[in-house]
Amino acid sequence: MRREDAASFSRRKLTDVDKRRLTYIALAAAGVLTLTGFLLAFFVATPAQTIATLSTGGGRLFGGVFVSHPIDFGQKIFYFHVPVAITSFAVFFFTAYFGARFLITRDPAYDVKARIAAEVTLIFVLLTMLTGDLWTRWAWGVWWVWEPRLTTYFILTLLVVAYFVLRASVDDDERRAVYAAVFGIIAFIDAPISFAITRLVPSELHPVVIGVPGGLDGTQLAAFLIAMFGMLAFGFVIYQLRWREERVKERIEALKSALED
Amino acid sequence: MPSAPATAAKARPARKLSWRQFRAILRKDIVMELRTFEMLTSMGLYTLLTLAIYAIALSASGNGFDVRLIAAGLLWLAFIFTSMLGLNRSLVHEKDQGCLEALLLSPVDRPVIFFAKAVGNLIFLLIVQVFTVPLFFLMFLSSHAIGGQFWMIPLSLLVGAVGVAGVGTLLATISVNTRGRDFILAVLFVPLMYPLLLAAVGATSAGVLGGQSYVADFWRDMALAGGYDVIMLLAAYGLYEFVIGA
Amino acid sequence: MTDATDTAVSAEGLTRVFGVRKALDCVDFALPVGGFLSIFGPNGAGKTTLLRALTTLQAPSSGTARVLGLDVVRDAVELRSHIGLISHNPLLYPDLSAEENLVFFSDMYGVEDVSGRVRDLLDAVELSHRRFDLVRTFSRGMLQRLSIARALLHRPEVLFLDEPYSGLDPHAMDILDSLIAQIRHEHTFVMVSHDLAKGLELCTHALILAKGKVARYDEKAYIDDTTFAAEYRSVVGLGVA
Repeated sequence: MRREDAASFSRRKLTDVDKRRLTYIALAAAGVLTLTGFLLAFFVATPAQTIATLSTGGGRLFGGVFVSHPIDFGQKIFYFHVPVAITSFAVFFFTAYFGARFLITRDPAYDVKARIAAEVTLIFVLLTMLTGDLWTRWAWGVWWVWEPRLTTYFILTLLVVAYFVLRASVDDDERRAVYAAVFGIIAFIDAPISFAITRLVPSELHPVVIGVPGGLDGTQLAAFLIAMFGMLAFGFVIYQLRWREERVKERIEALKSALED
Repeated sequence: MPSAPATAAKARPARKLSWRQFRAILRKDIVMELRTFEMLTSMGLYTLLTLAIYAIALSASGNGFDVRLIAAGLLWLAFIFTSMLGLNRSLVHEKDQGCLEALLLSPVDRPVIFFAKAVGNLIFLLIVQVFTVPLFFLMFLSSHAIGGQFWMIPLSLLVGAVGVAGVGTLLATISVNTRGRDFILAVLFVPLMYPLLLAAVGATSAGVLGGQSYVADFWRDMALAGGYDVIMLLAAYGLYEFVIGA
Repeated sequence: MTDATDTAVSAEGLTRVFGVRKALDCVDFALPVGGFLSIFGPNGAGKTTLLRALTTLQAPSSGTARVLGLDVVRDAVELRSHIGLISHNPLLYPDLSAEENLVFFSDMYGVEDVSGRVRDLLDAVELSHRRFDLVRTFSRGMLQRLSIARALLHRPEVLFLDEPYSGLDPHAMDILDSLIAQIRHEHTFVMVSHDLAKGLELCTHALILAKGKVARYDEKAYIDDTTFAAEYRSVVGLGVA
């Protein structure tokens, strides 16, 4: 019995070390990729010509504000905004996925994982909002438009916040985990529907102004993909670090309760 | 082939019992509501209050303002907030004396509870709509002609109400076990409802405003709202067992 | 493994755990048909969790529990139609009349000849004269009687009692006693209680839960009434009073 315990303990240690190594590698990769993406986006990627507003020349009035080079900065932000947005969505998937795993196994570890994934989602959703807002500011000269992408991210933010509000309002551990899992799943199902419906129901007051620049050339694609993988790696790193922190906390709690007994 | 009648015979009484249980829960909810008028009074009063606030909000808009432009939005706003009030109530009385536990102890399939509760909620929501829509038109749109066709308005409200009742029943079952029930329901409900609301407001608006290609717009929005209903009802149905057992 | 035909309620290694918190820790017992099991334990000992596991409301994390040979997880729906619960909560809808409540639960259980069964039970608990009155207007004792009628509607073989005496005045307790005595011979009982005297008086088997573990499980014949209270206190860690 004792030997078995020792064996499984060392096995667990080993995977922990592996994971830690993987986390550091991912952290390094995230840094390098994001920096490369940044440099590529600003110095190498050719400016896109497909945006309609380009035809107005050097500058234009937008919302009463004269914007000298509306395209350039908006275009550069695209290389960060979209990867961040995609990452937030990818991480949100894991909230739902771990939620489903929890409902099947009733293992509280999955609940913790789902919660951490939701935390990372919140970070990236807020970053998306921020970069999106910069985009609207530079591209259209206003701080906020009810543009489909921004609107859906606003809703996504509310969903993720609601997830945490729900968690905070349930006392019983298991019930909290079940409710959070269910809400995580249904919110994840809801999110793509939001995306679709926001695009399909046009409103005359706030027309869809700009699409993603259609067709990326080689350098643009390279910059975009590199930034994309950089962001995904960042998401993974934050998740892993938080998960390790929770594990340590959990062990401390277990030790504490063992001491009390 | 010979085994088929045997399984069918076994399945039939179970299905018959489920149907009996479904009717029993639905009848009980309706009888209790007709006895107390708890949900309908609170929802009705809340609607009146909302309409009063609209009157205040629009008081400075002047004569030139065409209320029809925002009529669909106003109607849905009133409806969504009153429905949250009612949804909360519908689960609170199950919780009160541990009745939910008694319900769960009986040999009932959990989805039966979901569908019975959701259908009951849908009925109450429709009653409130039947009361709200004419009042709204009388108060805000009596001087305007409908641009589209009138039947579009109740139809879009109905399709919207199906989603509200389905998802709302799931969320109310969650929120009834939390601290700050009403608040939690609102926080969960509004963002989840967003796509349905958008589509439903679009459809209702097509009916109120008319204009170019409004029939096509109406059906597109109805299809989107209907799609949302189907997907979210399936999800709610699948997840309800976990929620009610927790 | 005892023969399933003479074991009414049993648990084997029944464990209910969430994270580091163990609500039930390897609970074992077997109660024969016709027995009366009293489960004692302080608050938080896992009594309610055990009851919820036995009545299929909460699935165990590991181990098994059976009622009349039916597994609480696999045969949950079938099992539910063989058990009844009498709780300190009336589990009745206050805005329905006595009769409507019983008819509603008859439908839920698929009872045949509803009106006859409801009439008989209302007679048995002496509430026929108030059958059309809303349950909201009932006294605590009347609620408890009606809740017994509700629990018996579908002729369950095993009755679970969850602190049935809490909140009752002495008169209502007497009535409850006599009702339980009336149905005692044809049912198996499992009662959760922290009232030692009452529980011992009624039971054939006693089980003490402490921190989710079975501290003692015995037939009443092996239990000394006079020392049991002291034993209970020492076992659950309350010290000697």
